[in-house]
Amino acid sequence: MSFTAAAALVLAACGGDSGGEQSADGKIELTISTFGEFGYDDLYAEYERLHPNIKITPHTTGQGGPYHETLFTKLGAGSGLDDVTAVEEGHMSDVLAKSSRFNDLAEIGPAGVTPDRWLDWKYEAGRDKDGKLIGYGTDIGPLAMCYRKDLFEAAGLPSDPEGVKKLFESWDSYFAAGDQFVKGSGGTAWFDSASQIFNAMQNQLPTGYFDRQDNLVIESNPGIKKNWDQVTAAVERGQSAGLVAFSNEWNSGFKGSSFATKTCPSWMLGVIEEQAGPEHSGQWAVSGVFPGGGGNWGGSYLTVPTQSEHPKEAAELAAWLTEPEQQIKAFKAKGAFPSQVEALESPEMAEATNEYFGGVRDGELFVEQAHKVGSAQYKGPGDGKIQENAASPALQAVEQGRSPEESWQQLVNGAAQIAR
Amino acid sequence: MRDRLGRWDVKYSPYLYVAPFFVIFGVVGLFPLLYTAYVSLFDWELIDDSPSFIGFGNYVLLMSDPQFWKVLTNTFSIFLLSAIPQVIMAVLLAALLNTRLRFPTGWRIGILMPYVASLVALGIIFANLFGPNFGLVNGIFELLGLDRVDWQANRFASHVAIAIMVNWRWTGYNALIVLAAMQAIPRELHEAAVVDGAGPVRRFFSVTLPLLRPTLIFVIVTATIGGLQIFTEPKLFDAMPGSNNGGSTNQFQTVTLFMYQSAFEREDLGYASAIAWVLFVIIILVALINFLLTRRIASAGEGRR
Amino acid sequence: MTVFPLPLRRSRRDGGPVGRANVWVYGLLIAFVLGSIFPFYWSFLVASRDSSMLTEAVPPLLPGGNFFDNVARVFDTVPFWRALGNSFLVAGSVTVSTVLFSTLAGFAFAKLRFRGRNALFVLVIATLAVPTQLGIIPLYMAMAELGWANQLQAVIVPNLVTAIGVFWMRQYTVEAVPYELIEAARVDGCSMIRVFWHVCLPAVRPAAAFLGMFTFMMSWNDFMWPLIALNADNPTVQVALEKLQSGHYIDYSLVLAGTTLATIPILIVFVILGKQIVAGIMQGAVKG
Repeated sequence: MSFTAAAALVLAACGGDSGGEQSADGKIELTISTFGEFGYDDLYAEYERLHPNIKITPHTTGQGGPYHETLFTKLGAGSGLDDVTAVEEGHMSDVLAKSSRFNDLAEIGPAGVTPDRWLDWKYEAGRDKDGKLIGYGTDIGPLAMCYRKDLFEAAGLPSDPEGVKKLFESWDSYFAAGDQFVKGSGGTAWFDSASQIFNAMQNQLPTGYFDRQDNLVIESNPGIKKNWDQVTAAVERGQSAGLVAFSNEWNSGFKGSSFATKTCPSWMLGVIEEQAGPEHSGQWAVSGVFPGGGGNWGGSYLTVPTQSEHPKEAAELAAWLTEPEQQIKAFKAKGAFPSQVEALESPEMAEATNEYFGGVRDGELFVEQAHKVGSAQYKGPGDGKIQENAASPALQAVEQGRSPEESWQQLVNGAAQIAR
Repeated sequence: MRDRLGRWDVKYSPYLYVAPFFVIFGVVGLFPLLYTAYVSLFDWELIDDSPSFIGFGNYVLLMSDPQFWKVLTNTFSIFLLSAIPQVIMAVLLAALLNTRLRFPTGWRIGILMPYVASLVALGIIFANLFGPNFGLVNGIFELLGLDRVDWQANRFASHVAIAIMVNWRWTGYNALIVLAAMQAIPRELHEAAVVDGAGPVRRFFSVTLPLLRPTLIFVIVTATIGGLQIFTEPKLFDAMPGSNNGGSTNQFQTVTLFMYQSAFEREDLGYASAIAWVLFVIIILVALINFLLTRRIASAGEGRR
Repeated sequence: MTVFPLPLRRSRRDGGPVGRANVWVYGLLIAFVLGSIFPFYWSFLVASRDSSMLTEAVPPLLPGGNFFDNVARVFDTVPFWRALGNSFLVAGSVTVSTVLFSTLAGFAFAKLRFRGRNALFVLVIATLAVPTQLGIIPLYMAMAELGWANQLQAVIVPNLVTAIGVFWMRQYTVEAVPYELIEAARVDGCSMIRVFWHVCLPAVRPAAAFLGMFTFMMSWNDFMWPLIALNADNPTVQVALEKLQSGHYIDYSLVLAGTTLATIPILIVFVILGKQIVAGIMQGAVKG
């Protein structure tokens, strides 16, 4: 690094250009990295038209896993990150723990961007402990409950929207309905995977695995253990299909009708349609009543790392991309569900329907779910990792026949190791 | 004059020949190795401005970590299940390929195909074969009236499945290595043995095997090192996409996977570096034992002749 | 080492196929080859149909008609031609330099006497035992310092010569090149490098061709480091293929069409180099 710095100094002294990323025609080059589908492709060209001095070079990675691994490697190496870097919600707690490596967007971003652009909880979850704004919110994944009408009917459960409301009213009623379903269906599972249920419950608690002083509270917060006991008991009563989310077996489970309900963020409808296939068209339905209130799963933020050489211009681009108008375009292009209040009120959202799910007005339904999400849960450093790498395997072990007590110990130990 | 040049040539040109390797190694191998050794003495987070020196603290902690001993056992189990059949099959396959065949290139491409499989395809394929509920292998077991096996949950079964993955991928590669060596064996040695009345099996043991010694040492040493560093296969095998856990209770996590998890997931770079060095020492020891054993076995074969 | 007198003329030492292939040999080979190529055929089946095949209990045995559609989608989604060019450049230069430098170093370790030879060779083997996964961060730091991040050098230079290549060429050279030949060439007044070029290289040609083949494939399939070191707009084939798996729902027929496509260039290289190996062996056999 010292070498590069020295070279830059020499260049600057000679009147050369120290930016390094200024292209020959004097344009400022901004790099932006995203993963999966953000729906921004057409927006870049539009931005370049509006800002003739800017040239945007986008970098897209396919999957979130390798994307974030690369992100943290480059953060560790101290170079190589793009000017605008997208971060997924599940990795946000790790990024916030390293907030010194990111610019405060409230400071360097355009003045016109105010907190009321976003839903409260989305905006809050983009800030670190000291209130620095690390990421502008892009999309979200408000939770609803998807269920199989035909399987409900066959097992003697109500399947109409009004009827299922009672079943999905609270977690207690949800698990009770599960017992009834398993008995009536002759062994078909109630839900796909224990961790899918547990994570939704966990995210409804006011704080996650840490308190606001970043102490691990997994053993001292009774809410966590209570959720654990409830979910693992349901597993032992045969309610879980024991399919690891996004595994090959899970994919097959949709087609094979292995389970009757699925926690459903807005983007899950597309997954179900693709996996379950045309032969199950019209059998799936989605309910706006979600046990324990609402929730969110997924969605991202745009950050500007301190590595960026053009932080102001980068923040400006990120601010523009997360404007309501732009997010509506992204929603139309790739279905990324907007987190901006104005975008949620737009006619595009209100008019959206989904044929596969029996013509339901899913836009309207999920907008309502987005407003139901309470305040942002405080997540300490490593919270997302505990969820994914300690809680999920421990629950999988219960599904594979281990005792809940032993697995609880596994979760406690695993969480301690991640927090260390 | 010419003599002096010649002496210089003999004395110093060998260094010139090995220099490219050591120069490259200095940049891409030695620097990371020393960096890792240095980091292993600190409580060092992945992104850390002020790591604190703790001496051998990471090593002490590692020795008392039950997960380390569990993953070490897994590593040796998977290693033994894969390396031994792999080497034996490779020699057998090479002997088959060393006969006068029609379309020799075709056969070679055939057995080397697994080596060119992209990891993405490999993950998808094996998930489909060994899925506990919908997998092809369990489907066949059921057809044959056998019990289904939970390839993910059962510790030993998962080791077997991973070993199959490893063997599938590497046997052809090793077979071709052995084949290259077999083809360098002078033909008249075989002819002389035929004259002496030796059958094909005896010829194989008393002529071929001893002369394969340097190559077998290569195959066994590299299979040992590769086997103890096994990483890709258990990572791909986990049903949870991208997981480094090696199963719900680490039942098929290997040392390298554990190291990777410590570094990039738990962000404990100091601890991960300590694992890297312990693994390094273990591999050197095992490779050394293997090397000595191979030498004994091969020279015993020579003695019988 | 061996009790048979060693003839000086190289051609008589040449080996070649031993014994006739009978029904058993063919039978066993067919079994092995079927096991080896089955997953490829299966990938091709998925690539020629759609992803729903993966969830069927009894998979179909014959390809469907979607292969070319899926291939076209691969070309629409990622800069495949550019990736192909990059991969050829990377794998090609890595292969040429690895073969050259490994053969040279292998010759020195096997046949030349110099101080510290054994210690240096042990060091070569020891480098094999270094777990590479942790090296990523310091390696990236080194590449960034050199200004090579996101450039092809970053994936070429670290692989210009490998320990495994040196080890392999050393082991092969030990047996394939007799000292007598080297001595004879030296007496004739050959310099070391000429001995290498005219005595050693012809004798180790098959092994060098094998090394070249393996190196090319290894480099072609390398994924983790290129993904970090390169950007998605200037990818190698494997990095480009990663991009096919985007979104919450993965289209496996698209992904497997991509991986099938990526395998074809390797097979071409294999056939070319494979012929070379066979020719090298046959040449010797005819002379003998």
